[in-house]
Parts: sequence; C-alpha cells; structure tokens
Amino acid sequence: MALLQISEPGQSAQPHQHRLAVGIDLGTTNSLVATVRSGVPETLADVQGEVILPSVVRYLPEEIWVGQAAKNSAAQDPLNTIVSVKRLMGRGLADVQQLGTQMPYHFVAGGSQMPFIETVQGPKSPVEVSADILRVLRQRAEDALGGSLTGAVITVPAYFDDAQRQATKDAATLAGLNVLRLLNEPTAAAVAYGLDTQAEGVIAVYDLGGGTFDISILRLSKGVFEVMATGGDSALGGDDFDHAIADWVIKNSSISANLSPAEQRTLLDRACRAKEQLSQEQQVVLQFGDWRGDLTRITFETLIEPLISRSLKACRRALRDAEVEAQEVQAVVMVGGSTRVPKVRQAVAELFDTEPLTNIDPDKVVAIGAAIQADALAGNRQDDGDMLLLDVIPLSLGLETMGGLMEKIIPRNTTIPVARAQEFTTYKDGQTAMMIHVLQGERDLISDCRSLARFELRGIPPMVAGAAKIRVTFQVDADGLLSVSAREQSSGVEASIQIKPSYGLTDAEIARMLEESLTRATEDKNARTLREQQVDAWRLLEAVDSALTTDGERLLNANERESIEAAMLRLRAAVDEQDAGVIEQRIKHLSQVTDAFAARRMDDSIQKALAGKNLDEIET
Amino acid sequence: MAPSSYFALFDIPPAFDLDLAALGDRYRALAKDTHPDRYADTDDATRRQAVQRSASLNEAYQVLKTPALRAHHLLALQGRAMDLEATIQDPEFLMQQLAWREELEALQEAVDLSGISAFKKRLYNTQQDLAEAFSACWQDAAQSAKAERLIRRMQFLDKLSQQVRQLEERLDD
Repeated sequence: MALLQISEPGQSAQPHQHRLAVGIDLGTTNSLVATVRSGVPETLADVQGEVILPSVVRYLPEEIWVGQAAKNSAAQDPLNTIVSVKRLMGRGLADVQQLGTQMPYHFVAGGSQMPFIETVQGPKSPVEVSADILRVLRQRAEDALGGSLTGAVITVPAYFDDAQRQATKDAATLAGLNVLRLLNEPTAAAVAYGLDTQAEGVIAVYDLGGGTFDISILRLSKGVFEVMATGGDSALGGDDFDHAIADWVIKNSSISANLSPAEQRTLLDRACRAKEQLSQEQQVVLQFGDWRGDLTRITFETLIEPLISRSLKACRRALRDAEVEAQEVQAVVMVGGSTRVPKVRQAVAELFDTEPLTNIDPDKVVAIGAAIQADALAGNRQDDGDMLLLDVIPLSLGLETMGGLMEKIIPRNTTIPVARAQEFTTYKDGQTAMMIHVLQGERDLISDCRSLARFELRGIPPMVAGAAKIRVTFQVDADGLLSVSAREQSSGVEASIQIKPSYGLTDAEIARMLEESLTRATEDKNARTLREQQVDAWRLLEAVDSALTTDGERLLNANERESIEAAMLRLRAAVDEQDAGVIEQRIKHLSQVTDAFAARRMDDSIQKALAGKNLDEIET
Repeated sequence: MAPSSYFALFDIPPAFDLDLAALGDRYRALAKDTHPDRYADTDDATRRQAVQRSASLNEAYQVLKTPALRAHHLLALQGRAMDLEATIQDPEFLMQQLAWREELEALQEAVDLSGISAFKKRLYNTQQDLAEAFSACWQDAAQSAKAERLIRRMQFLDKLSQQVRQLEERLDD
C-alpha cells in the first residue's frame, strides 16, 4: 500500500474496487453514520428506518441497549442509563465534579484519573460507553453495505483538546473501527456545503450541538478547505438550554432543588420537549409533579440569552484570530439541532449580517461531510486530489517554565501538521535531569491550563547552570494529536513521549476493555487478524508492483530493485502459509526496503506538481 | 551551515515583496501533494514522512507570509542571521515603544473602543511603512544595520498587535 496513493490521479491500481468507508458523527445527544454510494452521500438508517441514533446507552445485567430504547428508559433507570457521555470524554474526576449537579451518576476513580461510572455491569469509562454507541453504528453500516469497513472518519468538536481527541480515538479502536481521520465537525459541515454549492471565499460554521459549541472560520479555494481560526466552548450546548428551563421550573415552583436522579431526568426531558416546541409555538405548558406553568418564547429567550452571548463572544474571538471582519464572511453554515431555536438564528444573522444557511438538515450535515472525507481518504474518489482539508490546533500547546508559567511553543490556530522546537537550559549547576511538563491552553499560569503529560529527560552530563542546550520538539499530526521529544544537544541524550493524556485510560485499562470486547465478539479473532493481514499484504504487493512498473527503472539501481523483489517473494510465500505473525513481519520488512523508494517518488511527484508553472505565474 | 531556503521550497526567487495571494495559491497546490491525508492508506513510515514534509511546508508558509519572519529569513539566507535576544540599540524607537504602550494602557482604562480601532489603524500604517523601508534597503550590505533595526521594529509591532487583540478580547468579556 505504501506507494499506491501517489499513482497519478485517476490511475488507481485497483480501479474497480470500492472500499467501504463511513463518516460517523458521534454527538452528545445523537449519533449518525453516513456513507457515499454511487457518488452520493447519504445517512444510513437502522432496520426501523431511523437515521438518528440517540447517544444513550443503558446497561442491564445481561445486555446493553443503545439508542431510542435506552433513551426511553433514562428516567426509569437513570443510574444505568448514560446520556451525554461525550461531555465526559477526556475529562478528569475533578472536571466531572463541576458537572456533577447536572449528572446523576455515581462516579468512581479508575487506575488513571479518568472517571468511571458505576453501573449494574460494573464500572464503565466514558470511552467504553462511547465505544458501545460506535459499535452499533458500525454494525448498522456493515449490514447496510454488506461487508466489513475499511475505515471511518469520526468527527470531534474543533474545540476538543488533545485528551478529548485521544479518548475518542480510543473509543473507536475499542469498537473495532479503523480511524482514517478525526475530523473537526465544522470542517465536515463546510465540506458538505462547500461541495454542494462550489462556494469560494470565507465562510463561518456555527455549530451548536447538545453539549458543545464550535465556531470555525474557513477559506474555501479550489477544493481546499483552509481553517483560518476555530474557537468555541466545550461546555456550552443545547443541554444547557434544557437546564436553564429546568432551573426556571424549580425557581417558579415549590419543588425542592434536591431531586432524585429519576426526577431530574424527567424534568430535563420535559424541558427539552418544551424547548423544541418553542421553535414553532409562542407559548407552551410545562408540567412537573403537581406543578403546571406557562413558558413563553420571550421568557425562554431571556433564559438562554446569556448562553447565546457566550457563543457570540467566541464568534468574535474567532473572527479576530482569523483576521477577518464579520462583513467579509460570505456564508454562515448552521450545524446542530440547537440552531433550530429562532433566537439563535436571529442572533447569528445579526452578527454576520447575513441570513444563515440551513438547507442541509443541521442534524445530518456533519455526518454527510465526514462520509465525503472518508470516501476520499479510502481512495474511492477519482478526483480526490482536488479536495483537501487543512485544519488547525484549537488551543495553544506549551511547556511549564520557571515560576509555574506556561510558555507557548505552538500558538492556537496554527495549521497542522506542525512541528516546532524550542531550546531550554538547566538552571542549577550539575543538573542531570529535567522535567518536561506539557500543557494546553491560553492562560499564563499552568494551573489554568490543561496538563497533558509529564516526562523526564535524564542523563544530562553535569554542566554549569545554563550551559546545557535542551531542544524540545512538539509535533502535531493531521488528527491534532501531539507527540513531544526532548534532546540535550551536546550529549545527544534523548527522551520522547506520545502524549497519553493524564485523563486518558491507562494501558492496563485499554487492555482489559479490549479483552472484554473480544470475548463478547462472535467472530474468531485469529481468523480475522489473518484475513486482515492477508488483505494488507496483497495491497502492499500490488502497490509496490505498480510502482516498480512506473518508476522502478528510473528511480532504483539494480541492487535496490533486487532487494525489493526478494522481499516481495518472501511476503508472497508468507501469505500462502497463512501465518498472521509471519505475514506481519514480512509486510514490515517490505515497507522498510521500499522506504527510500517511496521518498524518492514523493519528491518526484512534488517536482512534477511544480513543473509546468513558470515563475511569472507565481510572482504576479 | 546555511539555512535551507523556504523560497526554494515554494520555487520562487528570494524577495521581500511577495504577492501573498499567489503565495497562498502555491501553498495550497503544494499542500495537496504533501498532506498526510493523501497518504492515509499507506504504511506508517510513508505517513510519518508526509507529516514531516507537511509540517515543513506549513512552517515555510507561515514564515513567508509574515513580513517580520520573511525579512529575518532573507537576512539569514544571506548569512546575516540576527541574534534576536540581543539588546536593542535603538533609543528613538525605544521612546516610541513606551509611548505606544502608555497609550494602549490609557485606552484600556477608558474602555475606549473607537480609540482602540483608531490605534489599530495607526499600527497597521506604521507596519506598512516599515515594510516599505525594509524592502528598499535590505539588499544593500552597507545598510545592514538599518535593515536589522527595521526587523526589530516589525517584531515589536507584531507583538503590540497581539496585545491589542488580547485587550479587545478582555473588553469583550
């Protein structure tokens, strides 16, 4: 597979093979799965014809319910029915306690700092709960498409930090999904609209979902979606509208604020229904226990006014970061069920001085965009060279320096992938170790930032203070995930870390969960692994074969070619022998011996891209 | 060791006056060939290479599109790299910096939004003037000291713009 992607556009080595790839919108309130069939993106329905899967999981002693059935039982079994689990992803126990008043669950500490929810099936981490939702969507897609999936694009709020992204990726792995890419939700929405309308210019995506708010400013130009700035509030969403109504009910009735979890759930459900009705009606009747009251749209709008203001403030900040004026924004795309609230639409129209776009269903637009991207990444689009998404990191990344201060290495809204390095030094004579504390956030004090990881660089040769040169390198990949390395320049001592967020799962927890999910799985794991390895092997062999045919003569000498061909022979033999371990080894070996070849071909294709454009074109 | 040229990566001759729109177009075209998404289905090593190339491309674009960074890079290419930590010998500008800062503080205390907007405009004009002055002198080795002084001034104004933006954010709260 190594070399397949750089074949000329439209000359894929396997022109007729369509790979099954899906886009998944893993939402706070609802989740959806979509795919591209015969060039047309569509959301996939379950056997009842329902497209929307409520993101609710109920744990019963012997089974797991996911979706509408679970949602219906939320009030009756609140402790075992997990709603809005996305709000807990990548969060620590302390963060969760802040949300505590709004969440009825019993939290327990796990091996890491991640909170576990106590259920009849034992403690469940937010990652496992999310995986249970993803598993249902994966099954739905495989049933609908009639085969196993090559991969999935999973959307996350642009504002998700490293810990939240990593948690989402862990959940997908747990659900047996191959993640082609984590894609920011607003970018996905822009793709859905952009490809629809062939728009060019600056657009804003206003995404008010159940639990998170995102605003992104993008520039669309010849199929390239370039995120200029993104911002938002990872604790603001339509759920807060429900809570505002619930609080209003409690204030206006003699009901005690100390509700049982079941009562709390019932009240929130009523509040949610009232909110939805108020998008059409001017007034609704709310009933809770013995209490009955009228809620007018005007009162509702007053209640949510502070919440809408918070979203508008984030919009202005994103505009400043993108260095564009509100008037320069040509179109505003609305995403998320909460953008159905008329007051929200009105406020957005006023800020940007343009009527927001709502012609694609705001509940489906993200999944549709994700499906389009998944289709492109899986190599199904003949013209996929024309579409590219350039994302940014939502929050600055940095290190702790003397005095508990955060020193930014990569500022927010920097286009990814990115690699930046900075030099630090020792502050004591003879210092032989240095603690590297990686942080994410905008504030100066480290206590106001999120701690992502700590690691130590040891073995620095003793020198006077200030003499050592320690170069710390941050690298963020296209999914927005960070790795950090540190190196003392004079001695070459090195240490590095793939960021495992402090709030993530420990390796032991992941291992246990994987084991559990495997014992539950009906398919034979070994057979599956073997099949996958065989498919990988064939793909790689075909790719190398076609690369050799096109460029082997030009880019390789006889020795190099010989060792590649030998590695291919050995891999072919392994495939026939049906041993997954051996196949894996030989795939690795063949990849290694073709490494330099791949690099030369990449250089070559860049040279070609540059050729044919003369300097005048560039300079004018 | 001479630094590698970001201009060469974009295949354009080193120059201070650049057409930013054309630079952007060229960046997007190059990004289409280097971005890891184009190699999503390949092995780890190829993907890692794509991430690194893509990161270099992004870095190059960032430098070329930002006047102060571009200016600094041009001097470095000529073997005239500046020590950015060095103490500034520019008393005239030092006085002006103090004046700008005091003015900004006064605007903050008065919560004077139209004042801030006028301040930004003036800042922008000064940045344009500095860019013009640099463009006129940087290739002349005899005016090397002047070119360096101009870069330091540009950098200060970039920082000041950043502070204005933070101030706007605070006042928006």
